[in-house]
Amino acid sequence: MFFVKTLEHRIPLHPSYFASDAQQHILAKLYADKEGSNTGTELIIAIIDVEDISEPKVVPGTGQAEYDVSYRAIVWRPFKGEVVDALVTNVVSTGFFADVGGMKVFVSKSMIPPQLKYTVDGSTPSFTDNAEQTVERNSQVRIRIKGIRSEIGAMFAIGSIREDYLGPLLQ
Amino acid sequence: MHLFTSRGLAYPITVTKLIRQPGDEIDVNAPLFTYKYTAPNTEYDEETRENVEKERTYFSNFESEIEGTVVALKVKVGQVIERILAVADIDEPCRHEVQFGGLCANCGKDMTVQQYSTTTSNTNRAKINNVHGHTSLLVSEAEALRADEEAKRRLLDSRKLSLVVDLDQTIIQACVEPTVAEWQKDPENPNYEAVKDVKAFQLVDDGPGARGTWYYIKTRPGVADFLETMAKYYELHIYTMATRAYAENIAKIVDPDRKLFGDRILSRDENGSMSSKSLARLFPVDTKMVVIIDDRGDVWSWSPNLVKVPAYDFFIGVGDINSSFLPKRQQGLEARPSSTVAPEKPHSNESANAIPPAAANDTEMSPATISSAPVNGDVSTLHRMISMANQDEGSLEAQANEQDQQIAEQMQDRPLLQKQKMLEAAEEEARISPAAEAAVELLASNAEGENIHASKYRHNLLQDDDNELEAIGATLRRIHELYYAEYDKGSTGSKGGRISELRPGHRKKRSLDELQNIPDAPKIMEGIRSQVLAGVHLVFTGVVRLGLDIHAQDIAHWAKWYGAKVSENITKRTTHVIASPDRRTAKVRQAANRGDRISIVNQNWLYACLTHWRHVDEEPYRIHTEARTNGAGGLPDSVEGKEVLLSSSEEEAAQTEEEEEEEEEEEEENEENDESGTSTSNGFGTAQLVIDTDVEELEKYGPTMERKDSSPTETEQADDWADLNKELEDELGSDWDDSDTESVRSDISITGDQTPRSARKRKREGEGDDADELGVEGEEGSRLQKRKREALARTTSLTNVATSVSNGAGNSDAAEEEVDNDSLDDDLEAALEAEMMKGSDDEADEAEKSKP
Repeated sequence: MFFVKTLEHRIPLHPSYFASDAQQHILAKLYADKEGSNTGTELIIAIIDVEDISEPKVVPGTGQAEYDVSYRAIVWRPFKGEVVDALVTNVVSTGFFADVGGMKVFVSKSMIPPQLKYTVDGSTPSFTDNAEQTVERNSQVRIRIKGIRSEIGAMFAIGSIREDYLGPLLQ
Repeated sequence: MHLFTSRGLAYPITVTKLIRQPGDEIDVNAPLFTYKYTAPNTEYDEETRENVEKERTYFSNFESEIEGTVVALKVKVGQVIERILAVADIDEPCRHEVQFGGLCANCGKDMTVQQYSTTTSNTNRAKINNVHGHTSLLVSEAEALRADEEAKRRLLDSRKLSLVVDLDQTIIQACVEPTVAEWQKDPENPNYEAVKDVKAFQLVDDGPGARGTWYYIKTRPGVADFLETMAKYYELHIYTMATRAYAENIAKIVDPDRKLFGDRILSRDENGSMSSKSLARLFPVDTKMVVIIDDRGDVWSWSPNLVKVPAYDFFIGVGDINSSFLPKRQQGLEARPSSTVAPEKPHSNESANAIPPAAANDTEMSPATISSAPVNGDVSTLHRMISMANQDEGSLEAQANEQDQQIAEQMQDRPLLQKQKMLEAAEEEARISPAAEAAVELLASNAEGENIHASKYRHNLLQDDDNELEAIGATLRRIHELYYAEYDKGSTGSKGGRISELRPGHRKKRSLDELQNIPDAPKIMEGIRSQVLAGVHLVFTGVVRLGLDIHAQDIAHWAKWYGAKVSENITKRTTHVIASPDRRTAKVRQAANRGDRISIVNQNWLYACLTHWRHVDEEPYRIHTEARTNGAGGLPDSVEGKEVLLSSSEEEAAQTEEEEEEEEEEEEENEENDESGTSTSNGFGTAQLVIDTDVEELEKYGPTMERKDSSPTETEQADDWADLNKELEDELGSDWDDSDTESVRSDISITGDQTPRSARKRKREGEGDDADELGVEGEEGSRLQKRKREALARTTSLTNVATSVSNGAGNSDAAEEEVDNDSLDDDLEAALEAEMMKGSDDEADEAEKSKP
């Protein structure tokens, strides 16, 4: 789900940048650091605006100055039970991998309806019922997130298409 | 799943009450039974007013760490549990057999969560990684077995096997030198033909400074056909030590439609090991249906599934850019000069080093070029030195840095360009002086041939003449054929399986039992492989650097793998001597003296056998055939024409006394080698004769026969023979036990009248002590030179041809002495010297030709 969220970030600045354009450096660094980053639980899509840049504070011992920046950003946070659209990246015999934005989701065989069978026709592996439904590389699927685990900088999720209205999207 | 009591309980415990009965549901951390235990407790005693220890009884609950239905309870009320014990069987709703990034893929629960009651982590349930592109997906053993079974059924149904393909130097070669792009753009460039179909791609977040390195990829000739054909017989997998991004890009080049490999790409990122490849990573259960092709055997620990292929070396001296993580490739034999057989041309053993010494050979080259040659051209030597330093403690970071450094170095130094420049510089010289022309020819031959499209003087460095894939393809098809022949035989043999197969509906359902009885590909390969060089006993000479243990070399390992036996010295069982074309070593002479029984061939013969998986005809690979006539034992049925030239009367007349001596010496050697066969008549040998087992064989090949029709040299001096023989016999009595006929050493006392010569001989015949060998060879080299000078003094053109041939041999002998010192400087010096000789010869030839 997408949110607009106010976040804070502390940026150290090297003394060689102590000049009138210090703020520019801070902003550039903020965008570079944060946009597209994964905090573990959420993904920062875009920074909307910067609300406040604090007065810099020199850190004793290093000479660097620290700025506290508060900003608003669009973040995406997946939830257990949420239904999302995903792009299939890889099909293996035990299931398939899909990307939901920056999050990797694995849909295991037990979460795939039994009528979709694993086949290796013409060396391109896919789950198909030999009718209208085929899950192969680059196909779009709608999945329900069954579980999420966060690590620093990465999110793993388990998905399911074993439900009505889930599975490959008809293009 | 069994539920165990945890290690932390205060054993012994006594069960007091069962809370759950079989059939009940149980949650995580729900109590299963209650128990009591006793433990000492410190209490304050009112009467004595101090703390005392007292045994107290406590009650507690035993809680389940897993949820599910209780199937069986293995404890009774009143039972005393003294140690860790299985107390219940619990049927779980999910066994967590497939896990993705710490999550169970089937129920979505977090597997990394640990609770106070946890005895074994849930992540331990699935530890096998059997998917190509992902390290985060793990499965349990049972699941892996299931997947493997399924895969086998699929392969058997389509009558295929699995083929694991390596990329670098097996089906492609990559380099990062920008020169290639420049050559590609310039149709005038002599290398244009060779590089015009080189593909390129850029990896942005790779290479030094993360600034996007362009990679130039040359596919091995015929790779498209090869893969296309193989895809019919095999399911193809890529297994490479390169990065993921690199592997994907290569896959795009060799398989643009992603039809052949699909997603079956395994790269360094997912391998788990930086220095070795393991089939268990892809085929955790068994490898009965797997074949590997790779140019390196060591990274696979010489797996029986491996079909080792010769390394593809198109960009000369570049090697494998992704190999900095691997153990260093053994130099010397791997890089082959050329697949064509050219025994009369002096070849360098390492094509990587081929140019600099050769270029330096040109006497008229500007000093600047000479001084720069060893530095610029020979980057690989530097690498080897760096790698040697790094080999032992190889932290990954250091290796990663090394790779970066190598790439940077290659981009900066442009070894290819340098070599091409040197080539061109040399040919410039050739235009000016006709004498140097020969040097250029030589250079060109070292750099693998001439460009037909360019003018005579425009030589190209790179050549696209590799055709190994055809042979590899044939081998792989043969393996496949034999495998399924075996399989068909097996399935008709087991009747039940056959019948059930014929029954409709059961067709696809092969029993598990049948799957276990499928033929074993490694065994089949082993069967073919061990026949290839069965009965062949190899001795290597002049192809491996001195001081290295031949048995530790890749090439020896490879040959042994094919059923050949490798020994250090020539013995009575030796059948082949693998020699270097430009060095006539003592072993070569020794072998030549043994007669036809031993074939002296160059390394390409061995490579041909190993790639074609059959014993190929030695004839085109024979070298040093002239050695037989130069040595004393001229062979009656030697086929080569050169021998005629050498044994012309002028040549023999030119021989000095010194030379006679040398020959005499070689006679001795001869005599010694076959002593047991011939010495029956002389009184000395009889005692020792008993030891030897193959008198017959020796008699058959012994020099007594050769002597009858030996070269004219010997017949002319026939009157001396009686004397010589006598002298020989004198010596032999004390000396012969050192001969390498592998007879048991007897304790013959060495007589006091041992001549200095025999002592020297002893040295030579000794344990293959190379340093000593060298000394002797050096001497001989100088003799040969002397002979050459004398021969040069004669004026018939016939002699000239003859001498120049013998000359070549002499020169290389002289050079050898230096080369073997293992040092670059000496290498260079020797090459220079040799080339100088050659140059002067050529001039002399020229002069003489113009005379008549």
